[in-house]
Amino acid sequence: MIEIACPHCQKHYRLEDRYAGKRAKCAGCGLIMSINAPQSAPLSVPSAPVSPAVPTSRTAPVSMPRPAAASIPVAELVPPASVATRPPVPRQPPAMPTSHGTTGHADATAETLRGTTSHLQYEISQRPDFSIVKILMPQGAKVFAEPSAMVSMTPSMHLEAGFKGGLGKTFGRLLGGESLIINTFTAQDGPGEVMFAGGAAGDVAYHRLNGNTLYLQRGAYMLNSEDVEVSGKWQGAKGFFSGEGLVLLKATGTGDIFFNSYGAIIPIDVTEGFMVDTGYIVAFEESLQYRVTVLPGLRTAGKIKSFFFGGEGLVCQFAGSGRVWIQTRQVKSFLSWVNGFRPTKSN
Amino acid sequence: MQHQLLAQPAMSIAKLTMQAGESVTCEVGAMIAMTSGFTVETTSRNKGGKGGLAKGLKRMFAGENFFLNHFTATGPNQTLMIGPGLLGDIMHYPLAGGTLIVQGSSWLASAVGIEIDATWQGLGKALFSGEGMFWVKCSGQGDLFLNSFGSIYPVEVNGEYIVDTGHIVAFEDTLQFRIGKAGKSLIGSILGGEGLVCKFSGQGKLYCQSHNPPSFGKLLGPKLKAR
Repeated sequence: MIEIACPHCQKHYRLEDRYAGKRAKCAGCGLIMSINAPQSAPLSVPSAPVSPAVPTSRTAPVSMPRPAAASIPVAELVPPASVATRPPVPRQPPAMPTSHGTTGHADATAETLRGTTSHLQYEISQRPDFSIVKILMPQGAKVFAEPSAMVSMTPSMHLEAGFKGGLGKTFGRLLGGESLIINTFTAQDGPGEVMFAGGAAGDVAYHRLNGNTLYLQRGAYMLNSEDVEVSGKWQGAKGFFSGEGLVLLKATGTGDIFFNSYGAIIPIDVTEGFMVDTGYIVAFEESLQYRVTVLPGLRTAGKIKSFFFGGEGLVCQFAGSGRVWIQTRQVKSFLSWVNGFRPTKSN
Repeated sequence: MQHQLLAQPAMSIAKLTMQAGESVTCEVGAMIAMTSGFTVETTSRNKGGKGGLAKGLKRMFAGENFFLNHFTATGPNQTLMIGPGLLGDIMHYPLAGGTLIVQGSSWLASAVGIEIDATWQGLGKALFSGEGMFWVKCSGQGDLFLNSFGSIYPVEVNGEYIVDTGHIVAFEDTLQFRIGKAGKSLIGSILGGEGLVCKFSGQGKLYCQSHNPPSFGKLLGPKLKAR
């Protein structure tokens, strides 16, 4: 066993001896480091230059916990990348205290999500900023993904692009902001591994369908397992006002679905009413009813004022019980900000 | 009011848990999601306070919105999630009678016991500090939430400290700053890419942000199609 710590972020790894002399990418901070042979020389800590002229010191932040990203250096190690030989998982970092201790819940947004289903094995790591999904599947299994979501895969995987689900479903997907084409990945020559990521920096979420239905925001779809149907669903006037497009994507069946978004994705279990700004909805279960409304003001006049000047516009009010996934940032906000920096045409 | 900061530092949001009767004042557009037991009031003044038009206008110059949204919980354990528009961190600052001077666009939300007012820091600072013309002065007692572009780091200043323009999030009013050259000569400072800097003096806490929006904007802008 070789024990190393990242020289940049001090993240700890325990690796097999055969990795000695190789290079690896730290899963915590991305630094490329070389793995030294077991006889580790003591680290020399450069002493900080003393500067009495600047008598300042940086203290620990008041309320800024940095959740330790428990992730997989496994996939990050540069040379080995095969399914059969999975390098050892590093020691889990200790649970960090949460912000301020005013509430006792750990920040789950950085946690690696893992699971095994009847279709596949998955692992979503590097959350929430650069989330990437690793899918392990047995020989013969298939997954279906939006074009360009694939990052890397083993040679046992066979990729085929094509229309899926007939004309109606294909057209529905198109209206739902997705591509006409769906890529099919088949583990043809033995078990396979595929990595997927979204186009923008952001998060990936997973949901298991058990015969129920999930609605996805325009563009949120990423990939699904077999036995899941993805199609478009006309929303009517609700869709028109929701700011999310007239058609939502609808996923049904018994299988796995993955979706992605700009920003972090936070799942919320709704039991007694919940409101989300229309631009921040990623997905929600069919068991929830929703209507598009304005923020609850005190009087009608107040409501109108909040609608026009409150900056929130319309909100989706969910009722019933079920899960809704929200995103913490919108591409729209970034675009409108960056638009201000565009050069102006000089005539 | 209890709070929890999630998805730090790039995608941060603040999750506030409030009891019946508790209120929080938020920047317009900051609300992402909430439970249904809230009433929302949009005004141009502090909750239950004076101000109105003049204060609203000053806030506009400070890079904030003319209006403010007040969220009041009407039931127990109501949850409100708020966040800024751009990538970056959120910090919580428990204000206890002192005053914090906040960079124009960094104010996100504050408890009712905090008076927020735009403040003029003088012409030199308005023109050269790389921040807005006005600053947001927060005084009183309660929870204050600020947001940044990039991550936030605190500096305990005792004596002097230098920050590049555009990187200040907030500072305690026991500190003063003036605009100065980064190096000995002005030309050297400008060639060095640092130009003018903010020189702080006094004793107190200063919060800086790792990135500044104009730098990123100027990097992207020229690569985009003209308007």
